[in-house]
Amino acid sequence: MDVDTGNMTQTNLVDKVVVPGDVVLDLTKMENQTIKLGSGLHQDCDYISVMQAGKLRLSKPNKYWVESSQKRYVPRLEDTVLGIVVEHRSDNFLVDIKAPNLAFLPVLAFEGGTRRNIPKFETGTLIYARVVKANGIMNPELSCTDASGKAAEFGQLKNGYMFETSTGLARMLLSSPTCPVLEALGKKISFETAVGLNGRVWVNASSPDDVILVSNAIMRSEFLSGTQQRIMAEKLLERLQKS
Amino acid sequence: MVGMVIERDSVGEEGDDVVTPGEFLGEATEFIAGKGAYVSPNGRSVRACLTGRRKVTAAPPGSHDNRSTIEIVGHKAHGAVPQPGSIVIARVTKVMARNASADIMCVDSKAVKEKFSGIIRQQDVRATEIDKVDMYQSFRPGDIVRALVLSLGDARAYYLSTAKNELGVVSAQSISGGTMVPISWTEMQCPLTGQIEQRKVAKVD
Repeated sequence: MDVDTGNMTQTNLVDKVVVPGDVVLDLTKMENQTIKLGSGLHQDCDYISVMQAGKLRLSKPNKYWVESSQKRYVPRLEDTVLGIVVEHRSDNFLVDIKAPNLAFLPVLAFEGGTRRNIPKFETGTLIYARVVKANGIMNPELSCTDASGKAAEFGQLKNGYMFETSTGLARMLLSSPTCPVLEALGKKISFETAVGLNGRVWVNASSPDDVILVSNAIMRSEFLSGTQQRIMAEKLLERLQKS
Repeated sequence: MVGMVIERDSVGEEGDDVVTPGEFLGEATEFIAGKGAYVSPNGRSVRACLTGRRKVTAAPPGSHDNRSTIEIVGHKAHGAVPQPGSIVIARVTKVMARNASADIMCVDSKAVKEKFSGIIRQQDVRATEIDKVDMYQSFRPGDIVRALVLSLGDARAYYLSTAKNELGVVSAQSISGGTMVPISWTEMQCPLTGQIEQRKVAKVD
């Protein structure tokens, strides 16, 4: 394989779109440095090459990763996801989180969970949970508590409306500072949302009109810049005379 | 109802002629059906059910029934079959939270002729701290393991154990595709990238 690495002590592809096969770093040209590789990058003996199409990002001093957006979700440890209960087995719930395998949610993985107070989730229940075990081979495992065992907003989401998005939009909605579209909507409407990194968003508000407005605004905002998002949200609010 | 004249072999010896399944061996009044033979449905004749040579054994003295036993010997040897206590080489097919399944390939250094399934349960992976075993850090799909057959198990699989120093992963490939080198009883290293992966490694002398 002929690889044209050029001058690769520092990659010049940061913040640019990369495709699978692109060589990002040549390890033979770098002296003793520790490099941290995030998702989408793979070590091929002496080269670091891209495995997933997306934008290459660098977090100084030495952390590289590829940011990409898909409709499918690959489970990662400590991600917060929205799952739908598919089945109830004796010691865990089977939950669909848009991953290659169904996830297991142990019946005891709730705050104060004992054998006597197992929650009764029917098929189709929407759950906000945290991924606690995710390797590529076994079914991922979820938990409805945070690391210290408290409930912390995890659990069943009642009422509201859930829609599916790409993983990129979900990450944008969770970024800090607050995503512009959410900020613009929040000024005029009171609503609550739960965003799952697996590409599911749940919205709840006091009236169905508000729920629809917020959902549509979020769905439209994926490829807009910050200013465009604000303008779009304000136009929608105006049209429904919410100002 | 085929009456055949059979040369009676001397008792205790094997005949030279090969018999095939269904062949008439003798009258049920004179012979007991041993291994490889059966009494025909009408209850009157003993017939063979395997391919091999006929062998007649005299009735043990003092038994109330003084009929000789006819059996079939010398049939084609079957492939190896795992028995409790035998050491097997297996390839891990699936790793789950509480057990790992493996396809048994060799029994006591003889290859098997048909597929046998084995299961390594979480409590049989190692001898110490068996409730803290992480299956993902012990085996991966594709690993070759040496294991001991504990029992015939259930209808689906034999129960295997790797709870000894010389049992465990013998050969494994890393994520990068290189055959890994063992560096301790819990770790193997890839020669291409230097990455270390966790396995339950067998101590090979």
